[in-house]
Amino acid sequence: MVLSQGLRIVGRFIRARPWSFASAVTGAALFAGSIIASSAVIGWITDTAILPVLQDGEPTHGRLTGVVAAIAAVAAWKAAAIVMRRTSAGWLQLRTRQDLRSQLIGTQMDLELAWFDRQSIGNLLSVADTDAEQGTSVLAPLPYATGVSLLVVGTVVLLALLDPWLGLVALVGMTLVVAIEVRSATVLYPFWERIQVQHGVVSGLAHEMFDGALTLKALGREPMATQRMKTESDELRERLVYVGVRWETYRTIIVSLIPAISLITLAVGAARVDAGAISAGDVVTALYLLSLLTFPIQLIAFVLFDLAVAIPAWNRVAAVMTADEVVKHGAVVADESGTPAPVESSTVGFSYEEGVQVLDGLDIDIPAGRTVAIVGRTGSGKTTLALLLARLWDPKSGSIRIDGRDLRDFARFELPKEVAFVAQEAFLFDDTVRGNISLGLDVGESEIDAATALAGASEFVTDLPRGLDTPIGERGASLSGGQRQRLALARALVRKPRLLILDDATSAVDPSVERAILERLREASMPSTVVIVAYRPSSIRLADEVVFVSAGRVVDQGTHAELMARQPTYADLVQAYERDAALRSRDDG
Amino acid sequence: MADSLSTVAAIRRAFREAPVLGDKLWLPVVFNMGGTVVQLLIPVLVQLSIDRYLEGPGRVDMAAILTIAGIGLLAVVVGGLLTRAGLVRLVKQATTGLSDLRVSVFDHLLRRSVLHVQTEGRGSLVSRVTSDMWTLQEFMEWGGVMFLVNGTQVSATLVVMFAYDWRLALLVLLGASVYAASLLWFQRILRRRYDKVRATVASSLTVMGEAISGLPSVRAYAAEAVTQRRVDEALEARFRAEFKAGHFGNVLFATSEIFAAALTAGVVVGGLLLGVGGGVTAGVLLAFLFLVNLLISPVQMMVEILDFAQSAASGLRRIIEALDAPVEIAEPLQPVALPGGNLSIEFEGVSYRYPTGPEVLSHVNAAIDSGRRVAVVGETGSGKTTFSKLLVRLLDPIEGTVRIGGVDLRDVALVDLRRRVTFVPQEGFLVTGTVAENVRYGMPNATDRDLRTAFIELGLDGWLDGLVSGLATSVGERGSSMSAGERQLIALVRAWIAAPDLLVLDEATSAVDPALDVALRHAMERLTAGRTTVTIAHRLATAESADEVLVFDEGRLVERGTHQDLLANNGHYQRLYADWAAGTATR
Repeated sequence: MVLSQGLRIVGRFIRARPWSFASAVTGAALFAGSIIASSAVIGWITDTAILPVLQDGEPTHGRLTGVVAAIAAVAAWKAAAIVMRRTSAGWLQLRTRQDLRSQLIGTQMDLELAWFDRQSIGNLLSVADTDAEQGTSVLAPLPYATGVSLLVVGTVVLLALLDPWLGLVALVGMTLVVAIEVRSATVLYPFWERIQVQHGVVSGLAHEMFDGALTLKALGREPMATQRMKTESDELRERLVYVGVRWETYRTIIVSLIPAISLITLAVGAARVDAGAISAGDVVTALYLLSLLTFPIQLIAFVLFDLAVAIPAWNRVAAVMTADEVVKHGAVVADESGTPAPVESSTVGFSYEEGVQVLDGLDIDIPAGRTVAIVGRTGSGKTTLALLLARLWDPKSGSIRIDGRDLRDFARFELPKEVAFVAQEAFLFDDTVRGNISLGLDVGESEIDAATALAGASEFVTDLPRGLDTPIGERGASLSGGQRQRLALARALVRKPRLLILDDATSAVDPSVERAILERLREASMPSTVVIVAYRPSSIRLADEVVFVSAGRVVDQGTHAELMARQPTYADLVQAYERDAALRSRDDG
Repeated sequence: MADSLSTVAAIRRAFREAPVLGDKLWLPVVFNMGGTVVQLLIPVLVQLSIDRYLEGPGRVDMAAILTIAGIGLLAVVVGGLLTRAGLVRLVKQATTGLSDLRVSVFDHLLRRSVLHVQTEGRGSLVSRVTSDMWTLQEFMEWGGVMFLVNGTQVSATLVVMFAYDWRLALLVLLGASVYAASLLWFQRILRRRYDKVRATVASSLTVMGEAISGLPSVRAYAAEAVTQRRVDEALEARFRAEFKAGHFGNVLFATSEIFAAALTAGVVVGGLLLGVGGGVTAGVLLAFLFLVNLLISPVQMMVEILDFAQSAASGLRRIIEALDAPVEIAEPLQPVALPGGNLSIEFEGVSYRYPTGPEVLSHVNAAIDSGRRVAVVGETGSGKTTFSKLLVRLLDPIEGTVRIGGVDLRDVALVDLRRRVTFVPQEGFLVTGTVAENVRYGMPNATDRDLRTAFIELGLDGWLDGLVSGLATSVGERGSSMSAGERQLIALVRAWIAAPDLLVLDEATSAVDPALDVALRHAMERLTAGRTTVTIAHRLATAESADEVLVFDEGRLVERGTHQDLLANNGHYQRLYADWAAGTATR
């Protein structure tokens, strides 16, 4: 059952690359043939040269050329077969692995963020890395194993042709070896899965701890992290030892079986020589062939084991590949007229987990070209609303429309031409400044310059050693938080969106810089509707209108002055600083 | 760097770090001799049979044949048991040793300066304790075992050969030596190829990692195509490196066949030429053919292992280099104890520059008395964040001295320093787990009651009670189910229960909404009363309430004094404050 499942997986890979597999198997068959040929050559040398010369005292002359030629020919045959088999198999395995990884990434790009939210990043990485590797590890030795299987059959046939009794010994012996190999692989494979799971745990832990290094250090908690790593690493060790010990036991049995079969062959063969049925050279051939099998035959167990190992790994890969929460798209093509777009929503409901409503019957109506601030307390659903407006998530109920078109009706890749979203924490790629701003969009130098200027990033970008072409390191590690945010802003602005969504996207920028950026945004001839999720009164004041959100609903919408006048909770929230400052100065006085 | 450390030195270093790896390695070797003897049985028995018992039809000594076959079978069983014992021991030892090594490397990497951890690609740090380790594990379990089995077999086979005929044995030894020499030459080339393979593997992991963790950004900007192209390019580079190295190894492996043939032909020709007159019987010559085979197979296997060994050695060298890289923030050799109670602060001529950048802090002199609450302000890039990192010794100054409680920071034991000084970084980082587990990072033995008390003291019990399961609420993977504000809030509680004698906050409240921020800050004020506190603040409200304000500009400390004095000064601070006031005014 395990094996048939494994073979189905392998079959799929082979069908994708039939030629490299065929070439590898041909190489393997040639290899098997060369081994049988080499034992036949040894038998022939024994009967025509060694015994006549050394036992019967015949002359050496004239026999050496034949001996050397035969041995050399078989060796050349074997060497060529090895290169053919291994290089084709390597190609098959590495290309399959490459395809698998590329497809994994491709698939994930199609999936809903809701799906991602339920996954662990560490686990997804380990699927793309370790599992893609384990799931295909069987492909390299598989052709060899095919060759070895042919060799086993060939051995039995050759010995049976020499003498039926020798053939019987070989048949029984080989069947026993293969049966034990099959058993070892099937028994051990469930425990291999446990090892894989623990690999994922160790990898995830390492990722997490290196990510949080600053906090760990600040609190002096490195020893605690090390202790956690020790616990998980010890668990991994236990699981590895469990499988390792059993595996070595099986392997020892398999390796010992070959000499045992040889000894029986010797005894049976001697009896047959005594009876005059075969020559001493035939016994030598049989023993020589068996001795050549000692190493290759272990490969069958390796391959069966790899096959079993591939199953859980492949199942994890398949779980990602077959995830069906694909973002659905309509056919609407983006309007690239460059005019600002109105946005409206009706009775939007949303929850990340069952029963915890984040947005609940939310209605907004933002006229084209306005700058609107979304204001609310922590946990009121502001960020969620911003994510929905950019269609990073879809509402559970209700709908959101830009310029009258439901966001879900846009064709793939079309919506981002109209809507740009800048998140709280800017994600930058290990690329140049230019690469991070354009993100694949075909934009000219002047447009990038304009966007960086607008985002307040020109100055520090110019100061970088190679300007726009400076690599910024993994996740923009060489930049400060404020610089990262400004690059993310430039990335949005260069697209001249009809709707720009800023989710607290200037939090790491000083207030004066923030104000300058927001003012430039208002003044620039960039016709865009701007939605700002804001905490700072300065950002709020720059907005034409404020949408006040509480508990997943819009409480009120109007100008800042209007809301100050008619919403006491709004005034409380926004004035918190001022009142705080006032209280303090009264205390001081 | 990669070439400076030899593989032998790396192995020796690994044995020192994880002694169990090298513990009584001779034991498995000895046990393995059992298996080797079994393999050598066959050629010896062939020789005996051909020369003595198997002379032709009707002239076979069946009793003798059955006796030797019986003894042989017994040897197979005993040899097998010994072999198993040796291999099991080796597997346990290797696995345990590598687990210890992993923990050591992880611990060391984590101890390196925050600058290193943040600039080194995360993918490459992780691969030191994951994929590099797994390569080693696979190598030890498969390659290492095979190497051992085959190594003993090669030596034992040579011994038996010499016992039979020294001239033929010498011929074989000579051939084997020439071959071994050529292998060493190939080895160097292989080693370079595998280092390149590793580099492409690491970069493909980084790029795939970005595609996965940066997915929301990719989606928001329809950057799927460019991201996929980057992934595909990295994978293609990896394929090329791996395939080339693999193919090279294959050719290398195939040459061992030519070697085998040459030896076999040499032995047959040599044996026939020496002839019976030279003491070579048919049995001896046949035994030699089997023995050559017993020598060749292990050598072939060892060549195969060699290419595996190269990638394992590359991994090991990287692990050892990571392990031996000096910890920038070194423990003092003779630690000086900090005085009890609140800690004073003193910067004397302190300068700092990041390895590749300009000076970010220049000759800063500042003394802060114990128990004072100080706010540090300045524009982006003024050096105020660097100031805070130097203050908690996440970085060491290039020049000058930082002292707390009158003691040079470099003389304070790190465990002492972290216990007394707490730093709340800008980004509230949470580990996967519950709220309680995260707060406990501040004080591992805190009870749930202690944690609750901390929330109440900070006036955050209302927020806590609003969570689905209170303290036991899961924060999601790395805090993903908390908002940025909530993550900082937990980070603040965490810092609070650590009860430090010096508290350093770096813009910790920047993403909390104003109402929550004010509540939090009031609580912090109550609780920081009488405790030395340095706050790096965006919001000048913090500066207003501080005992003293330090103003930074372009890496220099330009002004210091109370809020009122500085305002009257008409300097940098006055401008910053005017800026901020304009930003927060609601009318």
